[in-house]
Amino acid sequence: MLIFRYSARELLRHPARSLLAVLGVAVACAMLLDMLMLGGGLNASFRSLLTSAGYELRVSPAGTLPFDTGATIADADGVRSRLEAEPAVDAVAPVLGSNLLIEGDAPDRLFVLGVDPAEQGIYRLTSGRDPHDGGVVIGRELSDAGLSIGDSISLRAPGSFAEAGRRTGRFRVTGVAEFLYASSGERSAAVALPTLARLTDQPDRASLMMVRLTEGQNPDSVAAALRLRHPELEIASVGQLVETAARRLSYFRQLAAILGTVSLVVTTLLIGTIMAISINDRYGTIAALRAIGISKRSIVAAFLVESLLLCLLAAGVGLGLGLVVAEQLERILSDFPGLPSAIRFFVFEPDRLAWAAAGVLLAGVGAALVPAIRAMNAPIAATLHREEP
Amino acid sequence: MRSPQGAERRRRLVEARDVRREYRLKGDLIEAVRGISLEVDAGDFLAIVGPSGSGKSTLLHLLGAVDSPTSGAIYLDGSDVTALSDSERARFRLEHVGLVFQRFHLLPMLTALENVELPMAEAGLARKEREQRAKELLTRVGLGERMRHRPGEISGGQRQRVAVARALANRPALLLADEPTGELDQSTSAEMLELFQSLNEDGTAIVVATHDLQLAAGARQQLTLVDGKIRE
Repeated sequence: MLIFRYSARELLRHPARSLLAVLGVAVACAMLLDMLMLGGGLNASFRSLLTSAGYELRVSPAGTLPFDTGATIADADGVRSRLEAEPAVDAVAPVLGSNLLIEGDAPDRLFVLGVDPAEQGIYRLTSGRDPHDGGVVIGRELSDAGLSIGDSISLRAPGSFAEAGRRTGRFRVTGVAEFLYASSGERSAAVALPTLARLTDQPDRASLMMVRLTEGQNPDSVAAALRLRHPELEIASVGQLVETAARRLSYFRQLAAILGTVSLVVTTLLIGTIMAISINDRYGTIAALRAIGISKRSIVAAFLVESLLLCLLAAGVGLGLGLVVAEQLERILSDFPGLPSAIRFFVFEPDRLAWAAAGVLLAGVGAALVPAIRAMNAPIAATLHREEP
Repeated sequence: MRSPQGAERRRRLVEARDVRREYRLKGDLIEAVRGISLEVDAGDFLAIVGPSGSGKSTLLHLLGAVDSPTSGAIYLDGSDVTALSDSERARFRLEHVGLVFQRFHLLPMLTALENVELPMAEAGLARKEREQRAKELLTRVGLGERMRHRPGEISGGQRQRVAVARALANRPALLLADEPTGELDQSTSAEMLELFQSLNEDGTAIVVATHDLQLAAGARQQLTLVDGKIRE
């Protein structure tokens, strides 16, 4: 333990050098943590979002992804009935999505979802009740704009003035909800599906169906079986949708991998340089220690502990810094167009923290090994001759 | 010190037989030690003197198993140290040889007490035992009041005393000192000689390589090296 005490105090011998090394490695560690959080964060966040409402499958028109295009499923009631008749299926929640305008002096665009209030996984009520006939549930944006439960709004489907009367409806706000898939700043609302279908002239249509399976079912297997029986539909499990999204967003992972590797290289170079300078300063002392019988193993261990302490300090600072930076980046990226605002780019998981710390510690200790071993193998007598006047 | 043919009355600590040490420096072959034979027994106090570059330090390193001879044999306490591996020689030095350097080579961030404890910690002594012995040694070299000071907080002479205490940590029978007064003023050098004489009277065999005539004169035996050879 005495040799370790020596290592710890040696860091204090050159406080400015040690501090700079700690700060440099801390920045690299912060970057590594952020890249690890980014690398797996989107997938984890997307999966969590898709499963949060408890529906394991998504059904959309053949060749499309949910809400990827304006295509809709025809014969929605029939499809729903047929799917509900499947033994593996517990419930089906149809959704129709469309842009409507809020009537007023300056009409505002609003994304309205038509749902079956008894079976839906699109929103979570924060106050009030579901939008049964004549009702509308509004999102936080409209609520913040001054609309309250009990207020009335007129919604109109975009189109010619000639059809305006037929395509306008007056709704009473019945509830305020959090819309799970709304992107940042998007104004959302939900009404009963038949109402929206009538307003938008899309009878018996659905943009999407969310399917809940009976207990113990494998979503991938059920999705595969359903696809065979319903070739006119695109049926995907949450896992398959996450994979598709991951492929589309693979450049985030590549970016994370490259920057994460860069941060490890920076750590290695920084610690390697600092330890090489520090060890070179002490060649004479190292030779003297070896001359008095201190083993190579003890001396290498002392240098590795020195490096480990540097990296531990840096990891402590760096992990905290990484979390703060991730939070700031998250705020910027939460406005990424087209992505639900509930999606998190940087997802904190304890294992990411552990991996970042382990990566920095291993890189640091590995970097110290080379100069330490080189110093150990320097001939003692020749080094002492050189060091002594 | 006696010649290889000398009578053996005391425990033989060092026996060097026709030892040579050559090395290459910028392509030139340097013969630092050329066929030296000598013996050091328990209780000896030998000063190796000679001009710079005469091979004093090289011989001292060979006698202390710090360096290996190009040819010849060196027996330390009866063991042929030239046949030992690197790690075995390190262990041998730790347990059987005490070394003192001109520039002390103390660890600056450890206290005097911790510096003296270091070789004992390496030898595996328990903390209490080594702390007790380190205190005794520092008191023995006159630094009982300076145990908690770091090398930067004490004088050159005191640092060299700490280095002597460190060299004695594992109770070696042989103490080797390479220019131990090289960084000290005259009066401190005289104190160092007194310390060596006192340690020698207590039974520690001492070999010093030195330019310091006062120190050399205080030794029991002297050996003069010129061009890597003993001058008769």
